[in-house]
Amino acid sequence: MKFLFILLVVFPNLVFAELFLEITKGSENPFRIALVTFEGNKKLSKELRNIITNDLKRTGEFSILDQKLLLPVRFIDEELNYKDWKFLGIDYLITGDAIQHSGSIDVKYEIYDIHKKQKIRSSKVFGIPNQTRQLAHYTSDGIYESITGVKGIASTKLIYVNELKHRKSGSTYTLMLADSDGDNERVLLSSSEPIISPSWSPDGKQVAYVSFETGMAKVYIQNIATGKRESVLSKNTQISSPAWSPDGKYLSLTLYQDGNAEIYILRLRDKTLTRMTKQFAIDTESSWSPKGNKIIFTSGRSGSPQIYEMNLRKLNPKPKRISFEGSYNAKAAYLPKEEGIIFVHRSSDGLFHIALKYKKEKFIRILTEAKMDESPSVAANGNMVIYGITEGDISMLAGFSLSGARFKLPASSGEVREPAWSNFLR
Amino acid sequence: MNKFSNFYFISIVFIAGCSSLQVTEESIANQDVSSVTISPKSTADKAVLANAVVYFEYDSYSLTSKSILALKGVVKLMSGNPKLTIGLEGHADERGTREYNLALGQRRAEAVSTYLVSNGINRKRLIPKSYGEERPLSLGSNDYSWSKNRRVEIK
Repeated sequence: MKFLFILLVVFPNLVFAELFLEITKGSENPFRIALVTFEGNKKLSKELRNIITNDLKRTGEFSILDQKLLLPVRFIDEELNYKDWKFLGIDYLITGDAIQHSGSIDVKYEIYDIHKKQKIRSSKVFGIPNQTRQLAHYTSDGIYESITGVKGIASTKLIYVNELKHRKSGSTYTLMLADSDGDNERVLLSSSEPIISPSWSPDGKQVAYVSFETGMAKVYIQNIATGKRESVLSKNTQISSPAWSPDGKYLSLTLYQDGNAEIYILRLRDKTLTRMTKQFAIDTESSWSPKGNKIIFTSGRSGSPQIYEMNLRKLNPKPKRISFEGSYNAKAAYLPKEEGIIFVHRSSDGLFHIALKYKKEKFIRILTEAKMDESPSVAANGNMVIYGITEGDISMLAGFSLSGARFKLPASSGEVREPAWSNFLR
Repeated sequence: MNKFSNFYFISIVFIAGCSSLQVTEESIANQDVSSVTISPKSTADKAVLANAVVYFEYDSYSLTSKSILALKGVVKLMSGNPKLTIGLEGHADERGTREYNLALGQRRAEAVSTYLVSNGINRKRLIPKSYGEERPLSLGSNDYSWSKNRRVEIK
């Protein structure tokens, strides 16, 4: 097994965010690739290479040839000299060209399969000058998709909550938006009252979250581009735990109308509410199956928090318990092909970890090892999970790929938690 | 504001024998972002008449004998001030998920409410709500801090 250890600190222009990328374990059999520094603008090419390298390494599925070991790319009769690259043990070679015009940047890249001795991809991405990071992410996704056959998530986005504790009293809570590598941080909402449970609309244009700004938990929907926001229901009751249906037409919510947490589904078009649970115990943390025909949620009806599934296509659907190991399983989310669920599990030692249970397996897999791991969110391609950890007294984001790579994203200031990964945006 | 207008994607796959070449062209989707700042109205401007805190065991929303003794004072105060309305603010310690803890805090507030109602206080005078684990009284990840944070504040 290969152990890679990479430490990287990136200082982007405006926001002082730092990315600590730590890959403790990659795939046992990674794709070995050579990424040649792109032709064209030197500074730009170097920046692109750095971002693309990080994107690919974070997936855990690539071993990237050290830049010092790169060969000059030579073409003989317009054919790449595949033999030399084969000697270096390379599976794929990526070449490119970064062209900067006054108002635009074009990136061209080509992927060569060294074993099959053929070019497998030739692509162009067009952007404007402040979109260098996005250009790199789009390129990373093209490379990832051509080689693994799975869509890449480097160009997706993250939202999360930042808390800045003030020395004298109180805190500032901020809902943040960032690229999938934690860079390019932007403020969506800033408040002196807590914000929890951010959730993406499937088209990536809106977010829903819980804000305590009125002194009581309420769910709001906010348009990312315009900043326009509204409370989803004008009821005088606590409302929390929003989750968008995959078609974007419904929001599942937890309402406290009778003083107890129950799950409802809100049709956004006309604000019709349908009650889904009626139980003396707590029912909350609903989330939708990828096809939108089921929801899973956390319920305390068995005496401890456990995960339940409900088929929405049935008349009077009955919740079916689907977690059995341990006395605390909560905040579950489906993998995108519904092959399993990711959730928070309390181990017998009282510590909280992120766990995975495949549908076809009888056992659970515990995937993290800190003390208080929480809020897992699965990437759109199902290959990565981001979650919240607490190190010392500071909470920050961490992630892993199902192939075994791990990374951490500490806050530039204060504490970060409650990450939510967007759908594909390209 | 929402500019996905210059977005397009072309993908052509040439198949010649057993070899295939994927050719694509796309533009970066341009996504504008607006920031919002909210300045909530102070919720602390009400005069605090009943100032009591009751504590709970881990994972539990049952009242303890100590809590009941504390609540007897609240019943007395409420009975003597028939116009007084109070907030019952439930909290949880940091262990467990945030939404489940929000619900747990609510159960704790409701448990206090139920006790007060059973002692003759009109339900309309009580406003049970929860902050979950979002407003710890004691910072720290240890038994002492956790025991201070599993509480209902009566104010």
